[in-house]
Amino acid sequence: MTMSRWLDVEVGTDDIDLNSLPSNLALVDLHNDNEYKLLVGDFGRGEEMPKLKIFRGTMQMSDLVLPDLPLGVVGFYTSETMPRQCPVIAIAMSSCIYIYRNMKLFYKYYLPSVEHNTCELEIWKQLMDPINHNEESLRGLTASLQAIPQKVLSNQSQNFLNLDFEQRIEYLEQLKELPDRKNVEIVCITTMKINSVNKHGVSCLVVGSEEGDIIILDPTTFTPMSLAKLCAVKKTPYQMVATGLYNVDYRVTVATRCDPSICTHIKGKKQWSLTLEHRPVALTLVPIMHLGTTLIAVALASGHLHLYDGKSRRDTMFIKDVVSVMKFGQLGKEENVFVIITTNGNLMLKILKRTADFNADAASADVTTDPLSSEKPWLIPKRSKLFLEQSARERENSIAMHETFQHELNRLRLLAAKTLLEVHVKSDNSIAVGALEPIRLTAEVEGLGPVFRVTLIIENRSSTSAAAGLALLFHVHTNNYKVYKPYLKVPLLGPNCQLRLPTKVEEIFDENINPEIFLRGVTGQGGEGSLVKILLLKEGQRSPVLAATVQMPPTDPMMIPYDDMQTATAFQ
Amino acid sequence: MGLLDRVSGWLSGGRTRATVLVLGLDNSGKSSLLRALRPHDSPATHGDHFSSGGVTFEAHEAPGAARLRALWERHFSNADAIIFVVDAADHLRLVVAREELQLALAHPELRARRLPLLVLANKSDAPHALSTAHVAAALGLERVTDKPWHVCSSSAVCAGGAGLADGVSWLARQLRDAAVHGH
Repeated sequence: MTMSRWLDVEVGTDDIDLNSLPSNLALVDLHNDNEYKLLVGDFGRGEEMPKLKIFRGTMQMSDLVLPDLPLGVVGFYTSETMPRQCPVIAIAMSSCIYIYRNMKLFYKYYLPSVEHNTCELEIWKQLMDPINHNEESLRGLTASLQAIPQKVLSNQSQNFLNLDFEQRIEYLEQLKELPDRKNVEIVCITTMKINSVNKHGVSCLVVGSEEGDIIILDPTTFTPMSLAKLCAVKKTPYQMVATGLYNVDYRVTVATRCDPSICTHIKGKKQWSLTLEHRPVALTLVPIMHLGTTLIAVALASGHLHLYDGKSRRDTMFIKDVVSVMKFGQLGKEENVFVIITTNGNLMLKILKRTADFNADAASADVTTDPLSSEKPWLIPKRSKLFLEQSARERENSIAMHETFQHELNRLRLLAAKTLLEVHVKSDNSIAVGALEPIRLTAEVEGLGPVFRVTLIIENRSSTSAAAGLALLFHVHTNNYKVYKPYLKVPLLGPNCQLRLPTKVEEIFDENINPEIFLRGVTGQGGEGSLVKILLLKEGQRSPVLAATVQMPPTDPMMIPYDDMQTATAFQ
Repeated sequence: MGLLDRVSGWLSGGRTRATVLVLGLDNSGKSSLLRALRPHDSPATHGDHFSSGGVTFEAHEAPGAARLRALWERHFSNADAIIFVVDAADHLRLVVAREELQLALAHPELRARRLPLLVLANKSDAPHALSTAHVAAALGLERVTDKPWHVCSSSAVCAGGAGLADGVSWLARQLRDAAVHGH
């Protein structure tokens, strides 16, 4: 067990019971004395009213009863005049932002209301009519009110639907006028610096509404400076982060409720992910200025709190309770304080030790990378002398190298084309290509002559269909050759089957035998008349489906039946 | 060094001189305490010299800001005594003070030596300030067994500095005793 990097602050847990959300925690230099206070927008438990609780270190200094549940608490400076004014506190509640200066309510900003949905308004008109104040018609009207999608429905309608019949009648009888506009609920709130990133720089408020609007408020007049709609299709923001400066360039990154994706890149592209051992319950950034690093703190349902630097885990703490909310920043005079609120409502404070170090190579660092997610680093060999010389050569003679390469490439292409052409010409001999793709026809010629044995090999290359009704026909010059069986019927050829069909072909010599025949080469090809065409015919088709030519070899001069011919002429 | 000091030194049979290192976190009130200790009639050039119980102290104040605390150890070698000032009202940073005190006492320059340690629970007049017993417990002083230590509450703002004189005279007594035993 390595020494902890954190100092635990003892907090009297008896009188502290907090029930809050991450957006309701703020660390603010409330009195401009460089003693940061912890502000917690507390929901209260049970019947308790929501309160803004202010902590000085571990002690609660004061609290402030809030009229509604707080949705977000932020502190910011509104002017840069000297002597410096205390920061103001903005608390978002329902559709209104309360702004406190010196802990006194200073201004209320209401989000601009919007028109009701026309259908909804029509139903309310009918609901207001006393004629409809009976069970029958009320049921019909509430049914049509329920048919309107919930996110379009105003709060008033939603509350109305939650009432039972008597309450509805009572409510309608009390209602004096038609609800014409509905209030827009605030969803999230944050701040953005206007001119400088200075700690005391003036900030403006950025508000995200239920309607999918992002409104930026002027820090002095609290009027909208700019307004943006999230999307053409209504999308409700859930959390947002404002970066940059309003007057320079800024970006508001919004996570919406509709697609709960966690982006780790500004363009919303997932960069990497880690597999956690348990369900995460809270997440916060831990920027440590004096170390120049920003860690990511992830609290798990198991009570563990992990600190990650990128993908590698740098520290682990065990919290006896499950974390509900956590925040890291300056508290009191101490810069690096971890504020943790547990699900039991306890407040825990952890101070980073001055000597703490999160470097991976520090001796005390507990570097445990997740074996599931960590990939082995690439084995990049050291740059050898050979490599350096080669790269230098490449830099110097780049043009010559490129030209040589192009030249060689063209030669290679030419060679490939030549070879292809040659193959094509040669293949004309024995392998036939035609419309009937899966059928291949090849021929083998055996013998010295004058009678040759020609074996036709017909192959069905299709793996699914059989070929039927095929026939082979020899097409020869009858002066030159005599085919014993010029017409061959091919039986049914199953898929992936091959058939060998032998037949005899005899070269014919006429009486006036040309003495040149005796002199022709044995290995070469016969004359022009030595071509034998083989046609593949299919029943019902007029033209042959395949054609192959076989060049017959010349008959060996020794085998020419000269004597027979001589005797035959003698008899004549 | 005034004539009177010399005479009184001669009368007391040789005065003891001691260098005292004043440590503490930023904003714990070190400078104010030293100002309170400085004799009122002494000119500004006198520096941080004060005397009590026949011991002349020369105080070295070490800066307390977090990034400067690493420099404390530079003063350790020539210190004869340590005054550690704690803001008794700053509950949050008591753990930080404890950590820094433990780091200092564990330093090789200090570990081997039997230096008297005076802990001042400062700002005792502030609301919610802890008592000396609480401060001693919070700093884990019960574990410091190799050095004589003493805790007293102090307040530089109140005239006279309530327990300050008390603490300094304890320190003087310790140093005198050490000098006697040493000779």
